[in-house]
Amino acid sequence: MKELNPLLHSQLRLAVMSILMNVEEADFVYLKEKTESTAGNLSVQIDKLTTAGYITAEKGFVGKKTRTVCRITEQGRAAFEQYVEVLKDYLNLQ
Amino acid sequence: MEEKRITERESLEIITSMIARTKERYVGDGNILLMWGYVTVAVAALVWVMLFTTRNPAWNWLWFLNGIIGGIATPIMARRQEARFGVKSYSDKVTSHIWSAVGVTAVVATLCCLAFQFVLHACCWRTMLVFALVVVAFAELAQGIVVKEASLVAGGAIGLCAGIITVCCIAGEVPLAINWFMPMFIAAFVGMMIIPGHIINHKSKSQQ
Repeated sequence: MKELNPLLHSQLRLAVMSILMNVEEADFVYLKEKTESTAGNLSVQIDKLTTAGYITAEKGFVGKKTRTVCRITEQGRAAFEQYVEVLKDYLNLQ
Repeated sequence: MEEKRITERESLEIITSMIARTKERYVGDGNILLMWGYVTVAVAALVWVMLFTTRNPAWNWLWFLNGIIGGIATPIMARRQEARFGVKSYSDKVTSHIWSAVGVTAVVATLCCLAFQFVLHACCWRTMLVFALVVVAFAELAQGIVVKEASLVAGGAIGLCAGIITVCCIAGEVPLAINWFMPMFIAAFVGMMIIPGHIINHKSKSQQ
């Protein structure tokens, strides 16, 4: 049996990826609210996913406030789909 | 939510829970629609009054106020709206592209009308009336279908009815006299943008 991708097999990173699989883009505030996480922890996990090339995080401004918008990449989408396939094997869902 | 190891079953629960949370439907806000509605109605009323009182067709150049005000305000309002909701779904992307296409069409149609006016000395500004009541109405109808918002579908249908009447008049060479056409144009924009805009804002406030 294949091993589950360790980068995705974590509570917060998986939650972020699950959200981004379902929307075109989401900002930091939205992700924080939906995942019920702290800003610091979410920021660290977003950095890890960005470094892996699974998501992009684009910093911009709306008025004087900064706004970080996250989007899933093709690489991230493929990794997530593969993760779900392996997960199905583990849970005998196929 | 913390950074911790999870079981396979917990993974599945996280995925299904996050999918459910992103399925919460946002109707957005109707402010951009309201802005276009009120600006168009105000400009149309101004043009109507000036044409009626002075009989000078030069007042038709006031229509450009519509594009200038709306063209400047729309991107600013759209950015604020995106920041307010924090998320963009596929349907948001589709509707955004539909309205971008409408915007580009408006610019191209205006340039064509200007070229006809100054190069060929032909007046074809009625094209812009057809644009406002057919293309814009159709875009609104499409948006309503995509986001499943009945007020937009109804508004688009109202505009489209006025648009079909306008096209028939142009094709049948029936003059678009200001005493009936301008009230119809204003009524169409009230039904097409102002009423749906208020309905969407009301729904948006109820959701919060």
